[in-house]
Amino acid sequence: MSIDLLPKQTPSPLVEMRNIWKRFPGVIANQAVDLDLLEGEVHALLGENGAGKSTLMYVLAGMYRPEAGTIRIAGEEMRFKSPSQAIGAGVGMVHQHFRLVEKMTAAENIHLGWGETPKIISARDLVERTERICRQFGLSVDPDARIWQLSTGEQQRVEILRVLARGARILILDEPTSVLTPNEAVELFKVTRKLAEAGRTVVLITHKLDEVIAASDRVTVMRRGKVVARRKTVSCDQATLARLCIGEELVSEAVGSKGSPGKALLEVNRITVRDNRNLPALREISFTIRAGEILGVAGVAGNGQSELAEVLTGLRRLESGSVAVDGQDLSDADPIKCTSSGVGHIPEDRLGMGLVGGASLIDNSILREYRSPPISRGIFVERGAAVRFARELVKEANVITPNVRIPVRNLSGGNQQRLLVGRESRVASKLLVAMHPTQGLDVGAMEAVRRNLIKTRDAGSAVLLISEDLDEVLLLSSRIIVLYEGRIAGEFDRSEAHRETIGLLMGGGREEEGGAGKSREEEA
Amino acid sequence: MKRSDRTTAGKRSFRLMRRAETKPLYEVICRIVSVLLALLVAGVVIKLIGMSPILMLQKALKSTLGSSYGFEQALVLATPLILCGLSVAVGLRMNIWNIGAEGQLFMGAWAATWVGLFVPGPTALILPLMFIAGALAGALWILIPALARAFLNVNEIITTLLLNFVAILFVNYFAIGPWRDSGVGILLATKRVPAELPTFGNSYVHYGILIAAAIALVLAFAIQRTKWGYEIRIIGRNRRAGRFAGMPVNRNILLVMLISGAIAGVAGMSELAGNVHRLSGTISNQYGYQGIIVAALSSGSPLVVLPVGFLLAILLNAGIVLQAQGISVNTMLAINGVILLFAAVGWVASQYRLVVTRDQPGDEMEEGGEGISMDEEGEGGSGRE
Repeated sequence: MSIDLLPKQTPSPLVEMRNIWKRFPGVIANQAVDLDLLEGEVHALLGENGAGKSTLMYVLAGMYRPEAGTIRIAGEEMRFKSPSQAIGAGVGMVHQHFRLVEKMTAAENIHLGWGETPKIISARDLVERTERICRQFGLSVDPDARIWQLSTGEQQRVEILRVLARGARILILDEPTSVLTPNEAVELFKVTRKLAEAGRTVVLITHKLDEVIAASDRVTVMRRGKVVARRKTVSCDQATLARLCIGEELVSEAVGSKGSPGKALLEVNRITVRDNRNLPALREISFTIRAGEILGVAGVAGNGQSELAEVLTGLRRLESGSVAVDGQDLSDADPIKCTSSGVGHIPEDRLGMGLVGGASLIDNSILREYRSPPISRGIFVERGAAVRFARELVKEANVITPNVRIPVRNLSGGNQQRLLVGRESRVASKLLVAMHPTQGLDVGAMEAVRRNLIKTRDAGSAVLLISEDLDEVLLLSSRIIVLYEGRIAGEFDRSEAHRETIGLLMGGGREEEGGAGKSREEEA
Repeated sequence: MKRSDRTTAGKRSFRLMRRAETKPLYEVICRIVSVLLALLVAGVVIKLIGMSPILMLQKALKSTLGSSYGFEQALVLATPLILCGLSVAVGLRMNIWNIGAEGQLFMGAWAATWVGLFVPGPTALILPLMFIAGALAGALWILIPALARAFLNVNEIITTLLLNFVAILFVNYFAIGPWRDSGVGILLATKRVPAELPTFGNSYVHYGILIAAAIALVLAFAIQRTKWGYEIRIIGRNRRAGRFAGMPVNRNILLVMLISGAIAGVAGMSELAGNVHRLSGTISNQYGYQGIIVAALSSGSPLVVLPVGFLLAILLNAGIVLQAQGISVNTMLAINGVILLFAAVGWVASQYRLVVTRDQPGDEMEEGGEGISMDEEGEGGSGRE
């Protein structure tokens, strides 16, 4: 919340992008976009997915060439033909998905493919150089650690150092917090602040409103390829920004559950589950979810959430304990049995697991239905019924698509998720397991998905919501459990849940310390 | 964008954009056009080496499509190419590369020969037995790679490829060893197998082509219309999605590989009973490997394998004829390569469309633009390192 650190309004910005145009199949990603970046500021570029913010920065960083428009840096016109030219001019980008060599050390990664790396250098000198770079920018990293040994936050720091070492005056961070834990995000924003104070310009591409407020000096909001607003961050609040992003009012605020929950639909009794490395991922945990209830599972990734989702949907075996849905034992069920018992599953990785990018909307729609009539007839898939089903689903889930024959990968992320959520909600007459259902979605799609979860709940199903987004968990859940190292570290009713208590438990702290329940900040 | 930004109005540029969807007819047209373009390039090459392209094309067409003998020969050659193409194509649907069709073909031919030489009975009974034996032998030959792939995730490319050499040596052993015909004038081959696939009238064309066509139709139908085919389509594109939906992923990998092997085995049986009638180490003219080309050019679609296999047969036969006209083997190979390359590019091209874009005129001053004039200085374009 650094309010008084605003840079003085300089007459000529460091970076001037004017009238940038960039097209892709079917979309105009940037449409006459202008952007100014000042020296020594953290500039947030806010917008929904597909608003064109990454494209604009790819243009600035020399990865895309615009069809029209000019870029000036410190008054000089630039036409980058490659990212290396851009970095030569001081523009460096850190991508959402890191481009590091897993098996090499941090020092090696920082020096890899860099003109200033000496041709022959001893391992010790390399480490020394790296330490010097770390000191220079005030970012600490173990030069000898191999990338795979580092946490995502540390890996990101290596990426940032890599770019800074090459002389970046303008550092672009593409959705930097999407891979970070909340604490790592706080650390990152300290770094960006420090860099800005040292006179560098940091661009923060994001669709998270709270990050804009917390970390930026100025914000440019984009919608459908155009700039819709330029503001000083101090003059904005989250609601204003959200409205600018989607151009309408949010509805997420009023979602309280109606009526009291019904009978227990999901009963989990002392289950123990092993992960892929055969280590215990869940240790004798028990809980229940009742009809008309959303149980939120909070926790930092890797504390057993994936295994929990998998074991409830038949994708992973139980070691001990039992799982029952509406009284029916599903301890040894496979996915087919789970589906037919009314269990739907929104997996964390939609194109990796829930959808098939190369297959049509038809084929994706019937994934849960192809074994049952009317789509199944004998050994055949009834084509007409499949198409009808897909059209129905597309309509019901508000998927925007020219037709149902195109491959799913041609849809935007939001539309893909709508299709997936719609399909699984149909199945989930008893239980819906939703893992990070709004991760990476823009505000509009996020709203649609959340509304769908509430609809499923109100239709009398039990919903298990696993999310790293604590705000989302607090917003939607009737009850909340916290998973830490495969155990339930705490369980709360929504009314008595406090952010910091939960945050503490997520990090492995004890409940007593936060039990007092003084809420530091109001949500929303 | 290269030089002047001043004359922005109406400056055009062309770019390729990926299509959201491609109509099948359009794909076919693209492929045909690309082959015609390839022939044009081939014509230029022939011209450059001092021959008449028109004359060569006439000869090539006359010797293949233009004469009944040539047409029959093309169909005879197309039969194993199509069968091996189908064998590889069905694997491709599951993202599996069966490089071992060659070996499976040899084993299919071997098993068919064994039935034909040593099982007594009427032809009407022996032929189906040979068919079954060929299919079984082909499937058996891929069984170990298939099991390794399905359950241990061992890369099938290496395992299937290496087994080819084993199969060829195995057949060679029988052809010049125990089963060798010691009759006069027979070089390193077995006795003639009495049971033969019927031919069309007096021609050389045997019923193997019907078997190939039937398998193509059945495969296409099964993949497009059945629940099993649906599973194949899903698993082939995203294995984890298959698991997610509870599909028997490993079993389907195994099954598809066995089918792939069986079809290649049938290719061996068809060659033996329809074309050569004696088992030898030269029963296959690289058909298993040519099948990979056919399958890749067909993008794994069984129905497309039929015309592509036929086209390749014509190319190969025309090549032989043109060599007799004095075009060197290497030139011929180059021309064949060009045609295949164009056919492949044609398919990729059909996925894109060419669009004309203009720089947007008159937009320089958008809301926040504050009237900064854009071309004050940098026209020289030298503003970068």
